[in-house]
Amino acid sequence: MFARLLWKLLWGNPGRLAVALIAVISGAAVISALLNLQFDIERKLTQEFRALGPNVTIAPKQGEQAPEATAASPVLMDEATVARAIAETQTPELAGAVPYLYLVARVGDTPVVVAGTNLAEAQRIEPTWKLEGNAGGQSIVGRNVARQLKLAPSGQMELKYLGRSTPLAVGAVLDSGAAEDNQIFVDLATAQQLAGSAGQIEVEQLRVGGSAPAVAAYAAQLAASLPDYDVRPVRQVTEAEGNLLRRTRLLIASTIVLILALTALCVLATMAALAMERREDVGLMKALGGSISRIVALFLAEVGVLGAAGGAIGCLVGYVLARWMGERVFAAAISPRWQIFPLTVVMMALVAMTGALPLRRLGRVKPAVILRGE
Amino acid sequence: MFVRLVSESFVRNPRRKILTGAALALGMAVATATLTVALEVGDRMAREFRSLGANLLVTPESDTLPLEIGGVDYRPVDEGAYLKEAELGKLKTIFWRHNILGFTPFLDVPAVIAGQPTTLIGTWYEHEVPVPDGTKFKTGLSATHPWWNIQGRWFSDGANEAVVGAALAAKNPGIFALGQKISAGRSASASDATSLEVTGIVSTGGAEDNSVLVPLSVAQTLSGHPGQLRQLFVSALTKPADALAERDPHSLTPKEYDRWFCSPYISSISYQIEQVLPGTDVHAIRRVAETEGRVLSRVSTLLWIVTIAALIAAALAVGATAATTVLERRGEIGIMKAIGATNFVVASIFLAEQLMLAMGGSVLGFVLGAGLGRVLGESVFGTPAATHIVLLPVVMGLAAVVAMLGSSLPLWRAAHFNPAPVLRGE
Repeated sequence: MFARLLWKLLWGNPGRLAVALIAVISGAAVISALLNLQFDIERKLTQEFRALGPNVTIAPKQGEQAPEATAASPVLMDEATVARAIAETQTPELAGAVPYLYLVARVGDTPVVVAGTNLAEAQRIEPTWKLEGNAGGQSIVGRNVARQLKLAPSGQMELKYLGRSTPLAVGAVLDSGAAEDNQIFVDLATAQQLAGSAGQIEVEQLRVGGSAPAVAAYAAQLAASLPDYDVRPVRQVTEAEGNLLRRTRLLIASTIVLILALTALCVLATMAALAMERREDVGLMKALGGSISRIVALFLAEVGVLGAAGGAIGCLVGYVLARWMGERVFAAAISPRWQIFPLTVVMMALVAMTGALPLRRLGRVKPAVILRGE
Repeated sequence: MFVRLVSESFVRNPRRKILTGAALALGMAVATATLTVALEVGDRMAREFRSLGANLLVTPESDTLPLEIGGVDYRPVDEGAYLKEAELGKLKTIFWRHNILGFTPFLDVPAVIAGQPTTLIGTWYEHEVPVPDGTKFKTGLSATHPWWNIQGRWFSDGANEAVVGAALAAKNPGIFALGQKISAGRSASASDATSLEVTGIVSTGGAEDNSVLVPLSVAQTLSGHPGQLRQLFVSALTKPADALAERDPHSLTPKEYDRWFCSPYISSISYQIEQVLPGTDVHAIRRVAETEGRVLSRVSTLLWIVTIAALIAAALAVGATAATTVLERRGEIGIMKAIGATNFVVASIFLAEQLMLAMGGSVLGFVLGAGLGRVLGESVFGTPAATHIVLLPVVMGLAAVVAMLGSSLPLWRAAHFNPAPVLRGE
């Protein structure tokens, strides 16, 4: 009997059913889409901040770092020691580790800063470098150097240092907007040979993923295994990144919470308005002798089914919506989480039933009063 | 008669109206709050991003190559080109002058302090730049290098004071202590060495930690280049670059050029600075500018999409409520038709009710949503979001349209059925 009544209630008026479902489905779709988004946003945004470049540096102990332009006797680090320490230290996400060796060589008569490094890794760790030409070539020339010395991709140049000289092909021209525009990048081995400092480097730059405290912890750990050198986070990057990530996360989370709360309330009000319609049915059933608890259970079941069904369909629509949003905003897929499905269904059912709860109060009113229309 | 019918329906059955009104108000509150946030977020986040520091670098066009390692220029002072300090005020006269938040000049001088060769970096901490229109613009390191921490205090503008880098101070604590006087000259035996008082120790996290920072005027005198500087870092509020910003300005049509010029892209601000400071090369510091552009455009797109999704959901819920109202009053419609009302009269009574409800509900929703938007702005950015009154007519219009659309579907169906079955209760 209960089931039959319930069936009749649901299907008796298709127009009303459609209206109720539309309200619940739209609310559920937005809620599930936003929840899906919220879980993935952190990761996607952190990836965007990679463009800031390296955030941890390893250098010789402070005070003896950079060479003068006239006298060149910088303090150097052992390349192998540093590489081993990096390999042995645990980190959740090491995006890249790039060694550098600087020397002031001459091209023709002009002194130029030459940086020996791992060219491929350096490009990976600096996504904002704009290269014109063959990025995999023998050298990368900064745009100011190229302009001054009239060098172009697939041109030739000769680096001279302390009597040694190396001819090199120009691979690509670099536009970075910073000091790198004034430097020439060559392979580390070439630079070491030119400077006569085999197996030695001056600075190692790393890009480590994670929040500011995680990066600091990694730097501390690495410093412990390199007691002779100075390991520290790049403050400009980690401080600003931490602050900005926090604010962006807060902004998006607050907006999502706001929309969730208001949408739920809106659906609640709609379901309450729908439930109000059932007043006379309640009065009639009571007049016929039904117990108030059974009657209320019947109507709660009706809205519960409506809420659950709308929530389920809405959640699926929400998955599609979240995928589309992910493509549009991040050009990457948002992986839907299955946990959101039961969460949305339950939430919508609860919201719908909360809307119908006022029907309980009708239990105390005489049926005649209700049937009269008051 | 019409007015009486409509007002009676409000008086007689307030409960249903309140629920409908509540749904409307909440739906419009969602709309207002999300629109308020979406309108402001671009500006607010752009300001937050200035904590990354300068995003533009100005250098002389016909310069020799800077011998720069780790941020310090090791060129001899008599080599290379310089920028003129007197022209810097013109930066605050370009079209986007209000977007120039600050700029800081640098002049590196190799010097000898206490027998050791050190680099002296001349710069501004809080310096007043005279602007051609008569005002003064205060700018300096705090705008372009906000992550530099000072222990003690920064030098006063133009005074014979110095701030020592943390690494240098750690290496020679006796010489570079707070309050000590140091003597800086071009060479070890310079008779015209300047006496500077150490007022602070700065921790930059970069190569400047091995140098001594002094006011620009002191460095200019020491280097023999009065009124000049080597490079200028600029911090500007910009809009993320899109397709228009990437194109060469000379290839744009006049209309496109206007749009590009009047948008604060980093490329248009660079162009305007180059126009006003001839002989300079202005370039975006790509690390900062691109990260800013990427994150800002993604966040902005995300918020707009979320806003539109919420708007659609709110609109659907409101429409559903309006439809319900009509559906449950089929009996009334039946009676009215039975006593001879035309479809038009019935429809207009209901639509008038919905409209009034929509107006009232949307105003309430606007107030609620604006308040929530302010709270959100306050909690995320520290200052409340402004109330955009322009949203009120937008929200009211939206509510009216949605409520009327929602109720017109059942009304249209109601127009086509016989009164008798309805009155019977079917």
